[in-house]
Amino acid sequence: MTNGTNGPGGPAGTGGRRRPDASMTLITSMLERPLDPGYQQAADRREAQGLPRATSYRTPLVIVLAVLTGFLFAVAALSLRPKPTAAAQVKAQLVARIEGFQKQASAQDAKVVALTRQVRDYEALALKQSGSTDLSGQIAGLEVQAGTVGLTGPGLTLTIDDAASTEAGGGAGSRPSSGFEPGRVTSADLQIIVNGLWGAGAEAISINGHRLSSTAAIRFAGQAIIVDFRPLARPYVITALGDGTGMQQLFDQAFAGVYLSQLTQEFKIRSVLKTADALSVPADSASRLEVARPIAPAGSATSTGPGTSTQRNAAPGTAPPGGTTAGTGTDPATSTDSPTTAPSTTSAGNSQENP
Amino acid sequence: MIPVFGLLAGLAIGLFMHPSVPVWLQPYLPIAVIAALDAVFGAIRAILDGIFDDKVFVVSFLSNVVVAAFIVFLGDQLGVGAQLSTGVVVVLGVRIFSNVASIRRHLFKA
Repeated sequence: MTNGTNGPGGPAGTGGRRRPDASMTLITSMLERPLDPGYQQAADRREAQGLPRATSYRTPLVIVLAVLTGFLFAVAALSLRPKPTAAAQVKAQLVARIEGFQKQASAQDAKVVALTRQVRDYEALALKQSGSTDLSGQIAGLEVQAGTVGLTGPGLTLTIDDAASTEAGGGAGSRPSSGFEPGRVTSADLQIIVNGLWGAGAEAISINGHRLSSTAAIRFAGQAIIVDFRPLARPYVITALGDGTGMQQLFDQAFAGVYLSQLTQEFKIRSVLKTADALSVPADSASRLEVARPIAPAGSATSTGPGTSTQRNAAPGTAPPGGTTAGTGTDPATSTDSPTTAPSTTSAGNSQENP
Repeated sequence: MIPVFGLLAGLAIGLFMHPSVPVWLQPYLPIAVIAALDAVFGAIRAILDGIFDDKVFVVSFLSNVVVAAFIVFLGDQLGVGAQLSTGVVVVLGVRIFSNVASIRRHLFKA
């Protein structure tokens, strides 16, 4: 209530002397006399009339007001509680979809691994039946080089992590990769170190369980490091198979080793190099045919061969990963004027070729 | 005790009836709740002080709610609704706290 302002806290309070806080009567009365002065006045009035100072608090008026207060509380709590908004629902749906797709993707990955193993078994069986044993050995060797099988053996693990506090090396000069905090491992660091490991004689390398095949790239997107289109989380554990101690000696003296020790000294980036006797790197599950397609059986291969090859040559770089199914993925690149004419030209081309 | 039961009965009625509050009334609900809390704690303190008066309680309750709602309404019209709401909440909050402190001194002698 506002009756505290004209209440007893006014400047006329204590006889002749002004209170030192007279200019703050509002705050003073609010703090010192929080109770409604009406209560005191009513009590004094009743006492003057010879009645008890307090009335009963069981009067109907009080009870009705109590019911009203409870009702007010309940209504306010119910109607003001934040309701799930449409945006929150959409967000929950998106999260559910993402999680579903991630589950689906991991299931598909497992399926790919199983099918790859099956294909390899059939391959071995077919080769055995055809009686050429050296081909299966050749395939096994090529698979190892292409990174499509998991490998095990001795080697070393190199664990790199951001500086404990990313501002630890703040005054130590600017990194070449500006825009990053100095104590942070960048994709360029990983590239240099991995290249150094290759140069030191590593035979197979994986980072955080992602096999580095010949087509894998270490890149960055914003501040995240991406290996083969999959983002990595720190710490970065590089597993390199090969002669552990020999690799370590070569690596330490090479440019990459010096670079890594510089990173540790200047920017407090943490790195631990360990050799081990039994390490394993997984297969590269992302190896797939992106543009090339296997040659179809002899009869149809001659008819469709030239047409598709010219389409592919027109825009080899724009073919999406799933673009091997139809020519529509590359059509907008071949006909730049209008995308609507693209399907008609290809259909015309196909109809010419088909007879 | 009887007013407490009345309060609980009001809560139950509100929870079960679940009335829909019109949108234009919703900005005033939180301020009304704070004002009602202030009046209720003032009444409890008056009871403990032995100077409770039911008419004063009812009048202070209603005028609290009405004045608080009016301040918010005025602030909305003037474009300072949020600031005035904050002011009301601060003033009533201070009163609630000092009344509760007095109640605590009465009940626990501390």
